[in-house]
Amino acid sequence: MNRRTVIRDLTLALGGLATVPAWANGWKAESLLMPTGLLKPTEQQMLAIVAETIIPESNTKGAISLGIPAFLEIMLKDCYEAPVTENVINGLKAADATAESQFGKSFADSDTAQKQQILLGFEKSQDTKLKDFYTLIKNLTILGYTTSEYVQTGFLNYNMAPGHYYGCVPVKK
Amino acid sequence: MANLAIDIKKQNTYDAIVIGSGISGGWAAKELCEKGLKTIVLERGRDIKHIQDYPTAMKNPWDFEHRGQVPLSVRSEYPKGRGAFLREETLPFALKEGVQPFVEEKPFTWVRGYHVGGKSLMWARQTQRWSDLDFEGPQRDGFAVDWPIRYKDLAPWYSHVEKFAGISGNKDGLPELPDGEFLTPIELNCVEQHLKQTLTKEYNNKRHVVQGRCAHITNPQPIHYKQGRATCQHRNLCSRGCPYGGYFSSNASTLPWAAKTGNLTLRPFSTVHSIIFDEKLNKASGVRVVDTNTKEMIEYHARIIFVNGSALNSNLVLLNSTSDRFPNGIGNDNGLLGKFISWHNYRGKISAEYEGFLDKTTDGKNPSNGYVPRFRNLYTQETDFLRGYAAGVGAGRGSSSNREGIGEDLKNNILYPKMNNHWHVSSWMMGECVPIEKNHVRLHETLKDPYGIPQLVTSAEWTDNDAKMVKDYLEQFTEMFTKAGFRNIKGADSMSNPGSDIHEMGGVRMGNDPKTSMLNKWNALHLCKNVFVTDGACMTSTGTQNPSLTYMALTARAANYAVSEMKKKNL
Repeated sequence: MNRRTVIRDLTLALGGLATVPAWANGWKAESLLMPTGLLKPTEQQMLAIVAETIIPESNTKGAISLGIPAFLEIMLKDCYEAPVTENVINGLKAADATAESQFGKSFADSDTAQKQQILLGFEKSQDTKLKDFYTLIKNLTILGYTTSEYVQTGFLNYNMAPGHYYGCVPVKK
Repeated sequence: MANLAIDIKKQNTYDAIVIGSGISGGWAAKELCEKGLKTIVLERGRDIKHIQDYPTAMKNPWDFEHRGQVPLSVRSEYPKGRGAFLREETLPFALKEGVQPFVEEKPFTWVRGYHVGGKSLMWARQTQRWSDLDFEGPQRDGFAVDWPIRYKDLAPWYSHVEKFAGISGNKDGLPELPDGEFLTPIELNCVEQHLKQTLTKEYNNKRHVVQGRCAHITNPQPIHYKQGRATCQHRNLCSRGCPYGGYFSSNASTLPWAAKTGNLTLRPFSTVHSIIFDEKLNKASGVRVVDTNTKEMIEYHARIIFVNGSALNSNLVLLNSTSDRFPNGIGNDNGLLGKFISWHNYRGKISAEYEGFLDKTTDGKNPSNGYVPRFRNLYTQETDFLRGYAAGVGAGRGSSSNREGIGEDLKNNILYPKMNNHWHVSSWMMGECVPIEKNHVRLHETLKDPYGIPQLVTSAEWTDNDAKMVKDYLEQFTEMFTKAGFRNIKGADSMSNPGSDIHEMGGVRMGNDPKTSMLNKWNALHLCKNVFVTDGACMTSTGTQNPSLTYMALTARAANYAVSEMKKKNL
């Protein structure tokens, strides 16, 4: 995909994000949106908020700063069939609806504990559609996160070419 | 105009034709070219040049757009059943749908590598020699026919190919698993060693765990540097193609070597349709090739032909090589061509855990694994099934993250995985299948592939012998693991398809008697002595060993024989 086209499209899409909440100031355009055509900008925002709830930013990076929302959308668009992606879109709507009914505000405006409560509720839900939605997004978020350069090289001791195999060494304390 | 036809024929005439560029075809090319023969290698697939055509070899996990999952739109280009095995990392070598349709009369998994190098780019690199306990199997146990060779015939050729290919292994001194020309062995880890010691003690030194001998360069010799290959880097990314040439493949090793002689012509996109039999001269004169791009048919001529198209495909070519003399396929007076197809029994799998050595772990990556040589029915018949099984065995000290929960806690579990409080152990059986006549391949009467070649029908199924063998493997290994103190032992019969072991073989078996076999002791068709079959198709019995090393040795031996016969003007 032509990089200039991507950035131009991102700028257009970002128009809808003029009113992001204060806590989203650190978001970079590229990490947030990828115009695959699968999700509307509002749905993309929701997906990003869900991913960031699953793996938040603190003194270590979270989902958004590692570009996970864009990764999620590419995975959904390219690797999953229509019924699955429709279920994701419905799940995002359900997150908002649940926030409204439980806390009287949108999912985005709910606080961290409230957001977590809603998603954990989906994870245990008897409604298989909600459960499948959240399980898929959680698994893909974890996949994108654990295979990122930041996590692989900074935390998981990634080494493409160890050059050796030692069968019995002491565990490092 | 007559001159033009003669010119084309001359242009298409070589000393030798090799059908297929895979693990055995590459060896035919190397040996024949080294001996001065102008050799054309006909490969049905595209070229894959060492290093430059390994697009995923140097990619990190984050470099893959879908982290390994193959997009739906791409998946649809590949056969349905293989969907689960498709990965972005190895997609370049996967076979697309429609390239070679075939008919599964009974379920059969046929894994093919249709590109220069064939399955030598995709193999597990495990290499073990046969012993006479294997060669004598059919005769002793009353199945198939007697092999026309014994270990002493092949031993020097095992040495020959091992030195060139680069084989890492330990000299274990076991008659059932002859030692070879080895580079530094890769170590067994603590738990594999522990299992080894347990077996030695508990089974009176009759069961063994050894380092799985493998085609990896652990300490390069001058011959490997001459090939342009370097030490294995223990990346365990072999199936992407190795830029270091750290493991043996046609692409890294035999084909460039053959090319260096100046005698090699490599023609990709060349699907061999049939061997041309010259009735007057009573020998094969060449092959008919369908160019897979233009679909035109081209003839190539040579004094000798090596058939290395991969076992079932070699059967197909021979079956399709019909003439007045051989209406049922070249050399097939006895009707055995395509029959006694077999493979290896990989159905049994076991996993377990061990809570010892918790102060120890491994470092780096192991491109090999532990190996348990066959111990059943070695010298006497002990069980209710014939033959036996070898097994792979591997242990590892993994780490894991608790993925429950959400938020900062979940993230920290992921960022700081905890070493497991146990080692995991796994084993997989590699059983010898007894070939039966009923298991066969044949040509479909009407269906053809995109090149006008009849589709192959595979008609093969498991036997009672196989089922009994799986049961014994599960029982024995459960007992062995229990004695080693392993817990949580879980074994199962995967009921995988015939062929899913990827060691399909037979159909053009070697034997002493032309009435009951297709090939003589030099891998030449009894009835057409300038056609040699040295890939899996030639196998009279299957043994338990990963077969590629034996194919390489048989090929080198037959090629050298062919050349000496040509020098004597016998071929």
